[in-house]
Amino acid sequence: MLDSAEEPLVRVRDLKMHFPIYKGLMKRQVGAVKAVDGISFDIFEGETLGLVGESGCGKSTVGRCVLRLYDILSGSVVLDGQEIADLNGPDLRAKRPEMQMIFQDPQACLNPRMTVGSIISEPLFEHKKMTKEERRSKVAELMDAVGLARRFADRYPHEFSGGQRQRIGIARALALNPKFIVCDEPIAALDVSIQAQVVNLLEDLQDKLGLTYLFISHDLSMVRHLADRVAVMYLGRFVELAPSETLYTNPQHPYTQALLSAVPHPDPAQAGGVDRIILKGDVPSPAAPPTGCTFHTRCPRAIDICKKDAPEWRQIGDGHFGACHLID
Amino acid sequence: MKLTHFVATTWSVALMSTSALAGSHLAQGRDGNVNIIYWQAVSILNPFLSGGTKDIDASNLILEPLARYDQDGNMVPWLATEIPTVENGGVSEDLTSITWNIKPGIKWSDGTDFTAADVVFTAEYCMNEDGGCKQTTSFSDVESVVADDDLTVTVTFTKPKPFHYGAFVGGTSPILQAAQFKDCVGAAAPNCTEQNFNPIGTGPFMVNEFRANDVVTMVANPNYRDPSKPAFASLTFKGGGDAASAGRAVLETGEFDYAWNLQIDPTVLADMAEAGNGTVVSSFGTAVERMMVNMTNPSADLGDKRSTLEGGPHPFLSDPAVRRALSIAIDRNLLAEVGYGAAGTATCNVVPAPTIYASTANDECLVQNIELANQVLDDAGWARGADGIREKDGVRLSILYQTSTNAVRQDTQALVKQWWTEIGVETELKNIDAAVFFGGDQSSPDTFQKFFADIEMYTNLFDGTDPEAYMNSWTCAEIPSPENNWLGSNMPRYCNADYDALATELSETAAIEDRARIVMKMNDMLMAEGAMIPLVHRGRVSAHANSLNGVILNTWDSEMWNAADWTRGE
Amino acid sequence: MLNYTIRRLMFTIPTLLFISFVIFLILDLAPNDPTGNLPMTIPPEVREKIRISLGLDAPMYVRYLLWCKQFFINEPLNLIGEWFNICIGACEDRLRVRSWATRSPVVDLIAERMPQTLWVVGMSYVVSIVIALPIGVISAYKQYSWFDQIGTFVSMIGFSIPTFFTGVMLIVIFSVWVPNDSIFWLPSIYDTTHKVTDWSSFWFQMRQMVMPVMVLALYNAAQLSRFMRASMLDNLSQDYVRTARAKGLKEKTVLLVHVLRNSMIPVVTVIALSVPQVFGGAIITEQIFRVNGLGQLLIIGIQGADIPLVQTLTFVFAVLIVLFNLVADILYGLLDPRIRYD
Repeated sequence: MLDSAEEPLVRVRDLKMHFPIYKGLMKRQVGAVKAVDGISFDIFEGETLGLVGESGCGKSTVGRCVLRLYDILSGSVVLDGQEIADLNGPDLRAKRPEMQMIFQDPQACLNPRMTVGSIISEPLFEHKKMTKEERRSKVAELMDAVGLARRFADRYPHEFSGGQRQRIGIARALALNPKFIVCDEPIAALDVSIQAQVVNLLEDLQDKLGLTYLFISHDLSMVRHLADRVAVMYLGRFVELAPSETLYTNPQHPYTQALLSAVPHPDPAQAGGVDRIILKGDVPSPAAPPTGCTFHTRCPRAIDICKKDAPEWRQIGDGHFGACHLID
Repeated sequence: MKLTHFVATTWSVALMSTSALAGSHLAQGRDGNVNIIYWQAVSILNPFLSGGTKDIDASNLILEPLARYDQDGNMVPWLATEIPTVENGGVSEDLTSITWNIKPGIKWSDGTDFTAADVVFTAEYCMNEDGGCKQTTSFSDVESVVADDDLTVTVTFTKPKPFHYGAFVGGTSPILQAAQFKDCVGAAAPNCTEQNFNPIGTGPFMVNEFRANDVVTMVANPNYRDPSKPAFASLTFKGGGDAASAGRAVLETGEFDYAWNLQIDPTVLADMAEAGNGTVVSSFGTAVERMMVNMTNPSADLGDKRSTLEGGPHPFLSDPAVRRALSIAIDRNLLAEVGYGAAGTATCNVVPAPTIYASTANDECLVQNIELANQVLDDAGWARGADGIREKDGVRLSILYQTSTNAVRQDTQALVKQWWTEIGVETELKNIDAAVFFGGDQSSPDTFQKFFADIEMYTNLFDGTDPEAYMNSWTCAEIPSPENNWLGSNMPRYCNADYDALATELSETAAIEDRARIVMKMNDMLMAEGAMIPLVHRGRVSAHANSLNGVILNTWDSEMWNAADWTRGE
Repeated sequence: MLNYTIRRLMFTIPTLLFISFVIFLILDLAPNDPTGNLPMTIPPEVREKIRISLGLDAPMYVRYLLWCKQFFINEPLNLIGEWFNICIGACEDRLRVRSWATRSPVVDLIAERMPQTLWVVGMSYVVSIVIALPIGVISAYKQYSWFDQIGTFVSMIGFSIPTFFTGVMLIVIFSVWVPNDSIFWLPSIYDTTHKVTDWSSFWFQMRQMVMPVMVLALYNAAQLSRFMRASMLDNLSQDYVRTARAKGLKEKTVLLVHVLRNSMIPVVTVIALSVPQVFGGAIITEQIFRVNGLGQLLIIGIQGADIPLVQTLTFVFAVLIVLFNLVADILYGLLDPRIRYD
């Protein structure tokens, strides 16, 4: 993928994000949670990159860093040819319309004291010079696009169901015609019956508007369905990245293998062939990650070198990257 | 032309009179405003409906009696021309009536004449059973009050009254205006808010604005009998807060000119006075902080008979030796110095003043003598037990000593406990909220009348200069008991036929020397028997700004008695 | 909402009646006596007569019912009569709730003190809100910054040092140490009869209000700023704040429109719930500076065992507390669209 002639829409290099830990009477900094610790990837226009991993591995932080909702520690984030890692204030705000986010909890992400109409139209105030009429018709248009009745514009978020709220969140994200949207577990909080509707809506919108997604999820089968390429994350680092089919059929990293083995198969008869790999122990604290390969404490195939040296992130196939001493 | 001339003449006359007034440097109201602060706020300006000193003092700026006591306790005619006596014919030979002559020309502040009818009305007002009058003691034994003419009033008593100056004498018995209060007699008295808040008087000031429980503002009475008084055009009588900040307002910040009754730590008061803005003044009346010794048994085992004569004598306080030992073990001078400073001196008498009544027979106790106290107890057979506490026949000298909650009293308690420990007496201290202790709630076991303790301590005094009613407190008939709903002022439950005989004799004796002799005898009897242990003769401490002249602190009458004479100096 | 309000109001009637009875019972059981503070020179028989003249010889339930009649029937009738200048029934003889110490109607005493109470205590409350809200907002936004640390320290002091200490300290500094002719000198005793007629009298009014208002404001602001800070912190970490930032809004808009408006919901209810305190006055501070507020009236009533005054004042406070609880609930419903009654 690095040799591709096409310029990626999003280019992330060596991204690091550490959260300081304060302790004691005077609240001095005593350490840091290494939520994201050196990650690089590209996302091409119109593509969906899936990002999977256990909870607490830093997936959501990656999404927020890429959108610059955090001040990142180091690294580079290029969006549509512009470096945004060190943008601030008005410059960063001017860039906001291009990149948006859909949040996991559709209830919490909507201001409870604002009506749906004002939630959707608020960014239009900020970034577009529009008359009241124009704004109203834009809101109506967006509500149509996500399948919400226009008359709901004057209601408050709490009056809607989870699926409807997520549609509000999507409409809100689309208001400024962004190119790139980070979907941070957008369906995790929804009923299974609603999940498919929202996923289909996201797919339709991508087709219609040519959107680019970073789709963060812990639901491996949903990511397989949606993503063109998939990255697997463990303790703040990528362990494997590959085109969707490759990753699901031929996972190389022991962690990926373990994750995939845990996915229930639609046909139990076929599933019999795959041995489930049960990972032992808990995810180590990102404040004090293990030495060497951070996965070695739980890896069923760990060898001596894993404890000492961190494996290099390297290409191991066609568009297939990984970081493991065991991969030849 | 004629009219012009007339107007001009009137003008010139008016101008002349004004300039004449201005020419006199003794015009009323020449000294502006005077600020008085009382740490208790005035609730009502009708002294007959309030017993509070603050209310009586404030109303004494407006209302006046026929006669007052001066700073030495001598009677001085006020609205009367002279003090009636048997000699001048004002008091009948058989002591059953007294005739007052009123100064002619006295006017109420509304301009109407002050007459004998007002005096008669005042007596009717207070003597009405339904009026809830709080000064009925002034009118005790009064049969009738009659106006002989506009300026003469005769008070007739139901029996010979050797001390006949109760009614219309002193700050607690001033005269109300009949015209103003005519509809406020009896049950209607409490409902006359307008009258009770704005009484019309003959005094130097009249009410401008009254805010109950807060402040009274007054202005000079234009109809006051002396046109050059009062020197102040207006007066502010502010109330509330605490004694320390009242003292500070006069002595340190200088915002006020006069502060009343500064019952605060003597050293704190001395520090404040060093600021140099004001002067601390003190004066001694009849108030004595004393211990009452329970002659009856307060044991809870007695049930209804607790602390009554029927319950039997006290297990050990009935022994005169114990009472004497307890008394001489106390260092009264130290108590006075620590607790009262300039406002207290050691005393061994329950009647320490006026001078003619003050006995010197009991001065043994002025000097602390622990050794002697121990000796007395040893001789009486009270031997020290293993824990150092004396006992005899299985009775331990263990005392429950109660008083009201008050920092000075708790200090005193602690000191006394220490001294009593030295003579082998065990003491348990108890303090009770003043409103409960002095309140007469029948359901409370902690009132000073019920006296469910061995020793109790508080201050008592008598109004005016005559101790007759006060001495009557310790006759057998005055013992509180369940039969009389614990109403009675003989807290020690002291009962002695000889004492009662003296009380009767006192009520029949008129000559002041004889009365003094009897009172001293009664006082000495109480002291010798140890029914009470007097501790400190308490004075009144007030403070006034250095620029306020004419203040004469008077404990025999209202502190505001001579406010008409106050002036502003340099 | 209207139905809810009416239902709540109806429910308050038995509640308040019950409260009034409990207050009466407690006051009656308290071993306190209206003659307790009279000079010792008043003999016991006279004290007993005074008690009888106050109606204390009647059984407890009779006295309670009498108070109920006076307070719930006679006083409102009297009030209506005075407003419209008419006479309803036997208006001359109607018995009103009268204070034992002043012998004047309690309601008149309360009315007389209301303006000063509202001026001083109310002003202190307004000042404390004006101080506390920005401090709370900035402390939360810059959590653990030096501003936040100082704010925490100051509010800890304000909260833990009692008003009788700060009050006397201010008096010693501004009334005693500062010379009388300095412009920094402040009166230690509040002139309750002062009338504002021009600029100089207004200036004097301000000067005499400074100390009591600041003493109270420091105390209230300490509490309120902590509350504001906590509420802001709760909201700052919410997803909708991230949404607002993702929308590309200015930081000021994010903070003041999104976070503050949501954080104010609990704070406003706390403010509303504390309004009865304003009417209740500040007993200690009013006593120190001799402000004739309702708190001072209450403490004088308690000290003098003025039962009708204490009973009525306490009950009025109870009414205010119950009412402002309702107001707080209604405000909550108005401010937070998620809350729906009925």
